[in-house]
Amino acid sequence: MAAETKLSHTAAMILQVVNAGYVYGFSVMEMTGLPSGTVYPAMRRLERDALIRSQWEQQSIADAEQRPPRKYYKLTRAGKLTLEASRKRYPLLAKLIPSEEVEA
Amino acid sequence: MTPRPATILHLLHLSLLRCASLLVPARQRGEWWKEWRAELWHVRQARTPAQGILWTAEQEVTMFCLGAFQDALCLRGQVGRGPIPHATTMGSAAQCIFLLAAVAAASYGIALLLPRATLARHAVHYRDAQRLMLIHDNRWAEDAIPTISAEQYRFWKSRQQDIFDGFAFYRVTQLPGPGVRDNGPTGIALASSNLFDVLGVPIRFVAADSKMPRLILSDSMWKREFGGDPNVSGTLVRLGAQVAVVGGVAPEGAWRLPGNVDGWLLLPDAANTADGNGFLVAHLRKSAEHDVWGDHWQMSARDPDGSIGSFSCSSLTESARGPMDLFLFAVFLACLALPATTSLPLGEYRVTSQKLSWPTRLNRWGFLVCKIALLLPIVYFASLDLAYLRVATDRLSSEYIQLVSSFAIGLFGLRWVLRDQRQRCPVCLRRLTHPAHVGEASRSFLAWNGTELICAGGHGLLHIPEIQTSWFSTQRWLYLDPSWDVLFADPGLAAANYF
Repeated sequence: MAAETKLSHTAAMILQVVNAGYVYGFSVMEMTGLPSGTVYPAMRRLERDALIRSQWEQQSIADAEQRPPRKYYKLTRAGKLTLEASRKRYPLLAKLIPSEEVEA
Repeated sequence: MTPRPATILHLLHLSLLRCASLLVPARQRGEWWKEWRAELWHVRQARTPAQGILWTAEQEVTMFCLGAFQDALCLRGQVGRGPIPHATTMGSAAQCIFLLAAVAAASYGIALLLPRATLARHAVHYRDAQRLMLIHDNRWAEDAIPTISAEQYRFWKSRQQDIFDGFAFYRVTQLPGPGVRDNGPTGIALASSNLFDVLGVPIRFVAADSKMPRLILSDSMWKREFGGDPNVSGTLVRLGAQVAVVGGVAPEGAWRLPGNVDGWLLLPDAANTADGNGFLVAHLRKSAEHDVWGDHWQMSARDPDGSIGSFSCSSLTESARGPMDLFLFAVFLACLALPATTSLPLGEYRVTSQKLSWPTRLNRWGFLVCKIALLLPIVYFASLDLAYLRVATDRLSSEYIQLVSSFAIGLFGLRWVLRDQRQRCPVCLRRLTHPAHVGEASRSFLAWNGTELICAGGHGLLHIPEIQTSWFSTQRWLYLDPSWDVLFADPGLAAANYF
């Protein structure tokens, strides 16, 4: 995906949130305030366009915490380039969800 | 153990997700379900309290689950984007026939699942229903109540009759059931021994003659209480204080007379002396004079006490009428009403002198006949489905529903068949596409004003006038020769030899 790809504000916000370390669907919802019916389909499209990729966490980690394993999302290289372009287009994006807030 | 409300709500949310998962393409469904289920677990952990119920939180969780439907539809949209349908399959004749056949099969399948519809279809016709009369004493207004006493029946039977040549009497009572599974009260008709002979209903598995009263089982009781045993005849059964021998099984749907009964205890006339009124069925003697009386007439006859009573006689033709008779009548009415709803011509008016080849014309007419042939079973079974869908509906109401629905489906079905035929290419039988309005309404009498449709196979153009004029009253078909093929999506379809 080219870095010049123009994203909607919602998609750019989701990319920014994922980049900030909120890697699960529900945490993206909580950070953006968007409903599940918007967030998950948007993430499907971002994944389809290879801007993010998904991965299942290890079963052992989930078992240790006695919860079901979750699917988490990460930005791809193309996603990072697109996010850079989107930040120029939407300058307030970085201020809304600063990356520093999140612990690694 | 009573499930906690929170558990019930969680199950409800899971079922919502499960419903949404049905929209997801099969190969992605497993992973999709796993992800949403895990997310739901975390949403519940984050939002709902550990103890008790917080309705605002449950509402939030529900809203979260409802979002799954949008996600599922999104995935379906991504995967389900197939190639644009090829013009050869869009609205093709085969597609139309397949669709009609599927609807006919579905309506037939539903009719098979409805026991009352099956019963109505397999109803046994009385041998001479037009001459079978149900006699009713006019002192009672309601036809469904018994009005004739056993004494009166015997009195008439013993006298020389000019009008009737056979009488049968029955009285409905509740007796303990004869079966081993259920001995609860069962509707039993205490009937004269000639009841089924007068009605002309053939009995299955007839037992050898016996001096004991014979019990004829209904088909449902035979299956329910005797497991459909073909050797049931001759079995001794007890109906309360009465011992009887099973004398046979009446065919399914054989009983069209008043009273809900599961068996008929055929008694000699002398034995049928119990108190209470019953119903009297009489067979009208064959005579030209009797034939003109019709299905309903009145008569005066002497009562056992010497007085003259007034009686009404109703033919069993109506009650013995089957669904096929109603269907044929409704289709006949629909055919009569059809010209009022649409024009009958198929609308192929050539402006050229060329004539379609015989195989092409035969193909077109065959398609029309095929559509009508598939429409008729749809009308029949769909109307039966509607009429007998509800168990509680009585027989008369069901017949009205069947008549009205047969007429409505038949009329609009035939209308659709004709209109569909007119909007198809006469050569390849595909639906015409790309309607375009040509001309102006204000110039209707000076220039052409109407709609033009095109055959995607390049066989021609159909012109339908907006307003009928003396010079352009009906739709016209303009054939295109094969030199136009290059302009069309499916040039291979244009057969050069259709003229």
